Amino acid sequence: MNRAQHIIPSGIVFFVGVWIAWVSFTQQPSEAFLFPRLISASFVALSGWTFLKALLGWSKIGSGISRQMAVNLAPGLVVALLYVFWLAKALGFYTATALAFFVLLSLYDPAPHDNLKTWSKRGIITACFIAVMYGVFGLLLKVYTPREILF
Amino acid sequence: MEFIYYFGDVFTPVNFLLLLVGTIGGLILGATPGLSPTMAVALLIPFTFHLEAVSGLILLGAAYTSTVAGGAVSAILLKIPGAPANIATTLDGHTMAKKGEGARALQLSFLASAVGGIFGVLLLIFLTPLLAKWALAFGPSHLFWLAILGVTIIGSLDSASVVKGLLSGCIGLWLATIGFDDIMGAQRFIFHSSLGGGINIIAALIGLFAIPQVLTMFAKGRRNDNIEVIEVKKHAIGDAVRELFSRKRALAIGTAVGSFIGLIPGVGGQIAGLVAYDQTKKFSPEREEFGTGHSEGVIAAESANNAMVGPSLVPLLTLSIPGSPTAAVLLGGLLIHGIFPGTDLFDNHPEVAWTFINSMLIGQVLMCLFGLYIAGLAARVAQVPQSVMAAVVLGLSVFGAYSVQSSMGDVYVMAALGVMMFFLERFGFSAAPLVLGLILGPIAEANFIQGSMIANATDGLGSYFFSGGLNLILIAVVIASIIYSVMMELRQNRAQTVGVEA
Amino acid sequence: MKKLLAGAAMTLMALTGGAAQSQDYPDRPIMMMVSYGAGGATDFQARIVTMTAGNEDALGMPIAIINKPGAGGRVGWNWFATQADADGYTLAAYNIPHFIAQSIEGGVEYGADSFEPIANWGADPAVFVVAADSEMNSMDDVLAYAKENPGKLTFSGAGLFVGHHIAALQLEKAAGVKLAYIPTKGGGTAAMKAVIAGDVIAGVNNLSDAFRAREAGNVKILGVFDLERNEFLSDVPTMKEQGLDIDNASVNFRGVMVPKGTPQEVIDKLAATVPEMFANDRVAKKMKAGGSPMHIMTREEVQAMWQARQATLEELLAGL
Repeated sequence: MNRAQHIIPSGIVFFVGVWIAWVSFTQQPSEAFLFPRLISASFVALSGWTFLKALLGWSKIGSGISRQMAVNLAPGLVVALLYVFWLAKALGFYTATALAFFVLLSLYDPAPHDNLKTWSKRGIITACFIAVMYGVFGLLLKVYTPREILF
Repeated sequence: MEFIYYFGDVFTPVNFLLLLVGTIGGLILGATPGLSPTMAVALLIPFTFHLEAVSGLILLGAAYTSTVAGGAVSAILLKIPGAPANIATTLDGHTMAKKGEGARALQLSFLASAVGGIFGVLLLIFLTPLLAKWALAFGPSHLFWLAILGVTIIGSLDSASVVKGLLSGCIGLWLATIGFDDIMGAQRFIFHSSLGGGINIIAALIGLFAIPQVLTMFAKGRRNDNIEVIEVKKHAIGDAVRELFSRKRALAIGTAVGSFIGLIPGVGGQIAGLVAYDQTKKFSPEREEFGTGHSEGVIAAESANNAMVGPSLVPLLTLSIPGSPTAAVLLGGLLIHGIFPGTDLFDNHPEVAWTFINSMLIGQVLMCLFGLYIAGLAARVAQVPQSVMAAVVLGLSVFGAYSVQSSMGDVYVMAALGVMMFFLERFGFSAAPLVLGLILGPIAEANFIQGSMIANATDGLGSYFFSGGLNLILIAVVIASIIYSVMMELRQNRAQTVGVEA
Repeated sequence: MKKLLAGAAMTLMALTGGAAQSQDYPDRPIMMMVSYGAGGATDFQARIVTMTAGNEDALGMPIAIINKPGAGGRVGWNWFATQADADGYTLAAYNIPHFIAQSIEGGVEYGADSFEPIANWGADPAVFVVAADSEMNSMDDVLAYAKENPGKLTFSGAGLFVGHHIAALQLEKAAGVKLAYIPTKGGGTAAMKAVIAGDVIAGVNNLSDAFRAREAGNVKILGVFDLERNEFLSDVPTMKEQGLDIDNASVNFRGVMVPKGTPQEVIDKLAATVPEMFANDRVAKKMKAGGSPMHIMTREEVQAMWQARQATLEELLAGL
């Protein structure tokens, strides 16, 4: 794995640490920021050390992200993020979950796409899952999810 | 011996049926990622309105006991702890499941839970007055040192690098400060309105453990050829029983630590599993094998988190002080029937008190039997295709995070933390120390501030935090824990250098 | 085509917007936010007083309790003022003087005019407690100790700018002594634990919780921060009887409110039905069994009470 891969995450963590420290030491009231100050000081020290190690190429732990992994991950991550941050609220939980579930299943199911049988199988699995979710969260636990768009 | 007199009441048809329903339902709810024991118990409260006091309590008690044990199922099979109590179970349990030993891990976890749980309830039955005094002995300064003791574990917990382990812990400690400061009411680090309520520990737990699992499954891609089908080995229950009792040290440490920590109000069961895991590791000659699917890890963690259930009710039943959020909910269940915990409960309603306590004893046995029955079946979860599993876990995560307090903000926080954790894990950071930081931060901070306010008004900071027997014992344990970690780190480094030279 | 599109849009609006129409309110279950943890006094009482909501003579739809605890209630009320839907399906429990005191102190995004009161169900005065084995037996003993050891009498309460804190400030002002108020994290139960365990010398707590702790033999109750003695504690004198000029500004009033902007018809409907619902016999019985004093007030009475509190608290907190 190359050095750049270690530099980016440890760099981000380090800059988050610096930002936290800056906020903690400038905000008032100081009693409320006593602990954040202690924490951010150790945060900056530890993340600085990690960042330095990454810059020097000493970081060896962790397997990084290969190109193939990134390619595999991208579509699933995009669908998942759309689902969580937008569709779930906009369409309602059950509608959005059914949609995202079916799309993700189709994206990552190794079975061939040109077969009606696989598509109907995916549809059935989705329907079963939504039924179970509704049974548990809607009927048993009575969780009030955001209003569905369709019903 | 008064309690024996009330055993019959547990077996009346209604009570026994509720016990059965509570136990089985609790196991299933506990095994669902995102449903914590507190939530399961709170969700049951409306049902108890319509029941007799005893029956209502039996239902709540059974659900409490078995959700804690059920949390181990998803911890072992999916590496998603059902509750903070089950974090330590993931460390060895999930590695075992990946090797096809899911059935063995589950059997050991249920057996260890039952042993720990029964011991905890027996403590509650026989030593309650004594334990109540002990529970009250912990004031702010002691709780502060106890939290610091927890922090010293962070570096050595499930991380290949101590520095990255500590840094993960620091990230957790910082995340815990987000939101309104609990004592002063000042706003801290609220850079998005979803963070106004701070980071909910259950939502964070789901995000940090479940989302990286989902993304890892995505990253393996659609191609079929590199997917290894895990062979789920069958495991005889008799072997599991024999193995459990050959691991006496892990079982004893787990049970003792769990009972001890469960007793302390405010710290509760959240860290019992982790502390027991850490202590067992330190005392084990096979400590190198922890984290690679070692059965002692599962036994210690699970015996601890069920052993804590009985003692955690001591402050509630004797002093009317709920020591944990779950105990607070149980208090509501008593009050609604006009029963006040304390002397009133044991003198005027002994049939309620003892039937409830007895039902927890029987509940542990039922939980274990039912758990063993489903262990073999549940282990087959490992064979569900990755594409289905990823989508199922994602859906459950969203519903689970939302249902904690019906808040979209929690869902966003869950997802953001999860995606961040996935990338951090690829670079050697790990989720367990981060969550430990998230749990311990508020305990350490609130008790430090409260303690220093009392100290400033009375005899000064130095003598408040550094004098008195309990303080000194805790400080000594903290120092010992630090020295031990440093020594282990040095020895490990030397071993590595020698290995390289050879 | 255009017509068709317009028609579709109309249908969609009817589908989504139609439910907000208030004639048939409520047509689905209602959510009520409590800004304290499950099992606490507010949560417990909220669950009891709403348990008959599903009855036909009440709202005809059940009310589900959602807890959003944190920072003495600030987290929940902030959420309620800024993020809750003002459609009548999201209610909240209010605690007076807590949220008004917090809005005067600042740092939150709500004030008395962010919410519309519906009705009040309970009034829980603050009381002064000491551990059962304490040598103090009256407020005189307490104040004598405080005068000998200025600033050293530690006493716990549920947090800053909540009812207990207001009571503490009133006590300091009326007695003219300096005391050490110790706010705890974790609400009234944590404050009570500190008293029983001896972490602090005394404490301010809810009457309902203190009553229970006294029944369990853990504390003595030395005084009530209210204008009159309470029916649950007829043997405990008020502060005024003990020569301290303290009124009922710290009494914890609990009730139901909706966010500003909720349709007027919905408010009217709730304001007419909810006090009736509180007056139900089963509710009264459960509340009494749990040691919780009831005090039902209508919307108009609550509005007047909020205004009065706002003025009192502004004056009291101005000196800080």
